[in-house]
Amino acid sequence: MTRIDALTGNECVAEAVRLCSPDIIAAYPITPQSVVVEVLASMKANGQLKSKIVDVESEHSSMSVVKGAAMLGKRVFTATAGQGLAYMYEPYFSMSTMRFPMVMTLACREMISPGTVWCGLQDALSVRDAGWMQIFCENNQEILDMVIQGYKIAENHDVLIPMNVCYDGFYLSHQTERVEIPDQEQVDAFLPPIDLPQYLDVNHPAIVDPNTVGSYLIRYREDHLKCMQTAKKVIREVNDEFAEKFGRNWGGLIGSYRLEDADYVLVTIGATTGAARVVVDAWREKGVKMGLLKIRAVRPFPEEEIAEALKGRKAYGVIDRSVCFGWNRGIIAMETFAALGKAGVCLPGLSFVGGLGGLDLRTEYVDKAAGMIVEAAKGAIPAGETFWMNEDFL
Amino acid sequence: MNTVDFLNSREDLLSPGISACQGCMAELSLRVILKVLGEKTVLVVPPGCMAGAAVGGWNKSLGTKIPAAMPQLGNSASMLAGIKAAYDLVDPDVHCLAYAGDGGTADIGLQALSAAAERRDNIIYVCNDNEAYMNTGFQKSGTTPHGARTSTTPVGSVGRGKVNFKKDVPMMMAMQNTAYVATLTPAYMNDFVEKVQKAATIKDGLVYLHVLNPCPTGWGTKPENSIAYARAAVQSRYFLLYEYRNYEFTVSAPTKNIREPKDVTEFLQKQKRFAHLDEQDYEEVRRVVNSRWENLKKLAGL
Ligand SMILES: Cc1ncc(C[n+]2csc(CCOP(=O)(O)OP(=O)(O)O)c2C)c(N)n1
Ligand SMILES: [Mg+2]
Repeated sequence: MTRIDALTGNECVAEAVRLCSPDIIAAYPITPQSVVVEVLASMKANGQLKSKIVDVESEHSSMSVVKGAAMLGKRVFTATAGQGLAYMYEPYFSMSTMRFPMVMTLACREMISPGTVWCGLQDALSVRDAGWMQIFCENNQEILDMVIQGYKIAENHDVLIPMNVCYDGFYLSHQTERVEIPDQEQVDAFLPPIDLPQYLDVNHPAIVDPNTVGSYLIRYREDHLKCMQTAKKVIREVNDEFAEKFGRNWGGLIGSYRLEDADYVLVTIGATTGAARVVVDAWREKGVKMGLLKIRAVRPFPEEEIAEALKGRKAYGVIDRSVCFGWNRGIIAMETFAALGKAGVCLPGLSFVGGLGGLDLRTEYVDKAAGMIVEAAKGAIPAGETFWMNEDFL
Repeated sequence: MNTVDFLNSREDLLSPGISACQGCMAELSLRVILKVLGEKTVLVVPPGCMAGAAVGGWNKSLGTKIPAAMPQLGNSASMLAGIKAAYDLVDPDVHCLAYAGDGGTADIGLQALSAAAERRDNIIYVCNDNEAYMNTGFQKSGTTPHGARTSTTPVGSVGRGKVNFKKDVPMMMAMQNTAYVATLTPAYMNDFVEKVQKAATIKDGLVYLHVLNPCPTGWGTKPENSIAYARAAVQSRYFLLYEYRNYEFTVSAPTKNIREPKDVTEFLQKQKRFAHLDEQDYEEVRRVVNSRWENLKKLAGL
């Protein structure tokens, strides 16, 4: 039977991991993810977790341990944030380019310097081109559900790409929300056991990951990129199956709110989406057709869905919790601009950068952004401009 | 059975033709280790000479008859720990072996190695110590000895080779009570084979084998003299052969039985990397070699 509980985002990760029962877990604590590691350890101590935990000394080792275990076709898990992700970049890139499926959660954290431990999506988004799938969550239930879906998507034989399930550090990692925890039978019926060969096998000697000539390597990359496109279909299918079996539909690659007839669109990612929903309602109340487009998947990037969702609108604005160095705008804004350009969809779009280093992305900020989007539609604000949601913004 | 007959009776699991330099002791040591451990072994070899020359294989052919994987330079121990954790679910008797260079061990991989030893992961970690980053062009490593000329410790009007001393990794591993630690060199094959055989029986933690492998290309020595240099290293007490297990040090026979130690110049002279050293430098090396031996004697209760 489904259990209803009040859990933080980090606790949701641990509950979902317990239900997915990886063979091997190796994770190293870092704010704001640490509770994930602690809860998994206590589950193990209480006999509630079957997985073997390898107690590592660093993130470089956590990713290396799970990569080694993946060479035997095992299901594995790790979690990190910010500096930990940066520290593990070397085996992180290799995990995806070896095409070993797994789920790694990220309690997203601003990158130093200057020194910070607070929220930001810069850690995950800075490595969006390291070959992993990346899905961003809005609330704790979505985190729990996406870990379970993540294994099913990643382990699909047409995909075989690891997935980051990302959520705003502190805002979700430490916030308690009502969540529904499915029972083991339900999850077992949804998520089959991992079905991959034992690549390192004394009975069938082979070398894994040797030096490879460019003429092979380019084919690996081509295949990886193609499978990333296939993953779009699989993410949608798994989303639909999950919705049917568990009664929660997160929308697949994107989510939306009052978007159908909207003239103006707020484009969001992660927990900021919650504030944007409130703002959309307020503008609707005033009789302005404001709508919301929530980007869930950043890799694979849902360019078709985004172009389709924004086509024929009057204007839009993207609210980012990260920066795209060299482009003077947020990362999701940059990606959205690219998707629209490719699709030949032309409408005024603005970039808003806020919430860095744990700053609140308050509804007042989002509300002001919504107003600027309306102005941009009239041509009163030049399209493509970037606005910083700092203390002078309001 | 004597060691020669024993090794002849074992299957050679390393490719018969490999592109290691002439006189490469790293290749010989790996070949012997694989013979002793046998075919129920999984091997990881990080970037370095042996990954390139022996194990990687080219053109879709393997370099070994056992499964192998290439980790990154600094994660041999952690990746192997993951392989072992997974193998424990499949077949706990399979040996999980790392054959890593001194750079991959003493420098960039030390943290992961120390953690695996602390966790008592039951893996066999061999450090192929050729005393520098040889594969990438003879750069200095933590185990490069005092005075040695390398491409990053050059000799010039001011530079006199490596300023500091060799990092003593086997002693560090012993000091953190690694399940089994031993030092080996291929000049003493009986001792070498016995230690690898013993390593195969250890089931309560990490095995750390530190092998001094003379490198003619990097040291500037004649290929046919590699074994002679390995022997001189032991006979001059430049390299001490011993074992550590459960808080006990045991000095191995080749070192214990030295009656008249050779002078360190036996080992240092005629190596191009030491060609610039003078009597004062030799004296410095003698002092360190002597201190290390006195220390080991105390630890071993001799
Ligand atoms: C993270 C990282 N930094 C640097 C390198 C470049 N590199 C490859 S092999 C090597 C040195 C290897 O030296 P050692 O471990 O002593 O092995 P040997 O070549 O002597 O066998 C270096 C620095 C690398 N592969 N990875
Ligand atoms: Mg070396």
